[in-house]
Amino acid sequence: MRKKRHLLKVDGLQLRFGGLQVLDDLSLTVDEGQIVGLIGPNGAGKTSCFNCLTGIYQPQDGRVLFDGTDVSRLPTHRRARLGMGRTWQNLGVIDSLTVTENVMLAQHQRTGYSALAGMLGLAGTWLRERELRRDAAEIIDYFGLEDIADERCGSLPYGKRKTCDMAMALATDPKMLLLDEPASGLSPEEALGLVETLRELRDRLKLTILMIEHHVPLVAEVCDYVYVLNFGKLLTEGEPDEIQRHPEVIAAYLGGAAAEPEVNETDEADDTTQVLRASQSPGEPPEWPLQPAAEGGAHGAA
Amino acid sequence: MGAFIALGLFQGAVYGLLAVGIVLVYKAKRVFNFAQGEFGSVAAFSAFYLVVALGLPYWVGVVGGLVAAVGTGLIVERVIVRPLESASRTIMLVALVGVALFTIAITVLIAEPIPRVMPPLIGGSGVNILGAGILPQQLILLAVLAVLAAAMAWFFKTDLGLAVLASSQDIRAAQVVGISPVAISRLVWGMAALLGGVAGLLYAPVGIFTPGFMTLTMLVPAFAAAVLGGMTSLPGAFVGGISIGIVQNLGIYLLGQQLAVPGAAELGVFALLMLVLLIRPQGLLGKEA
Repeated sequence: MRKKRHLLKVDGLQLRFGGLQVLDDLSLTVDEGQIVGLIGPNGAGKTSCFNCLTGIYQPQDGRVLFDGTDVSRLPTHRRARLGMGRTWQNLGVIDSLTVTENVMLAQHQRTGYSALAGMLGLAGTWLRERELRRDAAEIIDYFGLEDIADERCGSLPYGKRKTCDMAMALATDPKMLLLDEPASGLSPEEALGLVETLRELRDRLKLTILMIEHHVPLVAEVCDYVYVLNFGKLLTEGEPDEIQRHPEVIAAYLGGAAAEPEVNETDEADDTTQVLRASQSPGEPPEWPLQPAAEGGAHGAA
Repeated sequence: MGAFIALGLFQGAVYGLLAVGIVLVYKAKRVFNFAQGEFGSVAAFSAFYLVVALGLPYWVGVVGGLVAAVGTGLIVERVIVRPLESASRTIMLVALVGVALFTIAITVLIAEPIPRVMPPLIGGSGVNILGAGILPQQLILLAVLAVLAAAMAWFFKTDLGLAVLASSQDIRAAQVVGISPVAISRLVWGMAALLGGVAGLLYAPVGIFTPGFMTLTMLVPAFAAAVLGGMTSLPGAFVGGISIGIVQNLGIYLLGQQLAVPGAAELGVFALLMLVLLIRPQGLLGKEA
């Protein structure tokens, strides 16, 4: 097998918040051109891991190598400029701006003029600004957001804002995308589209993707390799079908979620069982967590 | 009465110019910048020193004044604002009041509290507008206000301006798309100081000026102008500034001269402010961000 180049190499991450060990000696590598999944029960430290990778959290120990550079000590925006794009579980769109404005904002690092010139509105900046608008329009078309390009993000439904978040990550012209639960909250149709989008990003745009995802069928469908995190430690790693059969993974999902002090404990447990049930029948269309029963009842009463 | 309206219009232009800087900082940092007036004072005193004391050409004074103002802005950003970035806005506000008072004290120490006269950008006698003698300097001031308010409104449509807005709303999301918080902070304070410097340079030659002249007489009406316009609206700063100027002077005319009410100018301003905030709490042109 041809040895691929590591685009991301994480070595021995240690992250503690006071007495709480969030990440414990976490190491992982992502090869160029791969789609890699990062799964694990809620509270396993997946998002914290992303926060360490992007420099939002500063781990107590460990190194992050990105594209051959040690970025462990670089601030977030410098890592972004090196080609680390990211989406957020709770979205990174700015609600008061329109879709176009959000995407233009994400192109910020490519702005080729000085602050002073921009302020004085020099002729060149007008041209540059038009160029940026054109590029933004292209990305917006790519994600099928052109109809709502001038709507404020705050007024859009969740799925659209999520797509906008992804468009923003892509607008930073990344080498690698870190996607935090790209399928959560999407309708089944939207999730199917996501599978296509992810493959296209990898194959056509030559992007490398590391994604956190709860939805095991999606992970099994698109990921080349999977890391499983539990209580901040790497539980196991491997190809998706190995992972799905791994007894410890099943145990971690069932046992782990129930044992953890989560606020939405019951919801999360529901989620996990749904996910697992779906994972046992990969041929069938994915089942999505239903609305909590209480809400349905309220509807019936009203 | 026409003369009072004309006087108010041009007086209001100074408030508007300061208010544009106040709105910029508020949009970007959600803080009331009480140091905005002193950026103007620093520019005026520097220009005065270069032009009058050293006898250098006027343009050297203008450039030197603006450089001094921006330099002050960047020092304030580095020494006061950045260390207090995560502090509460109240602490930041008090610190900025401190900056204003400190700057006034330094000016008094260096320049002595004597009244000075700065030569105007363009000399010549006043123009008669509605029966009021308006100096060419004041005409320039109004034009510059219009241009700068429009330029700033446009700036917030550019991706750099969007980066400033985004940083104020979600700093982490902004960083993840490659925006440097420090660069944005420097940009905002540099621009605010530049706007303050322009206001100071244009207003100093209109009358006599003393240390703290911008803060002590201009800043409170400028804040009223910014609030009146909606605090986040740049056209609002323009409209607010001019409204405050006109109402102040109408107050002097109607209440002061006709009815001999003391403090007529202030009464007019506060009546207007109360009225607008009662009817439209978001200000004349205010909306989110």
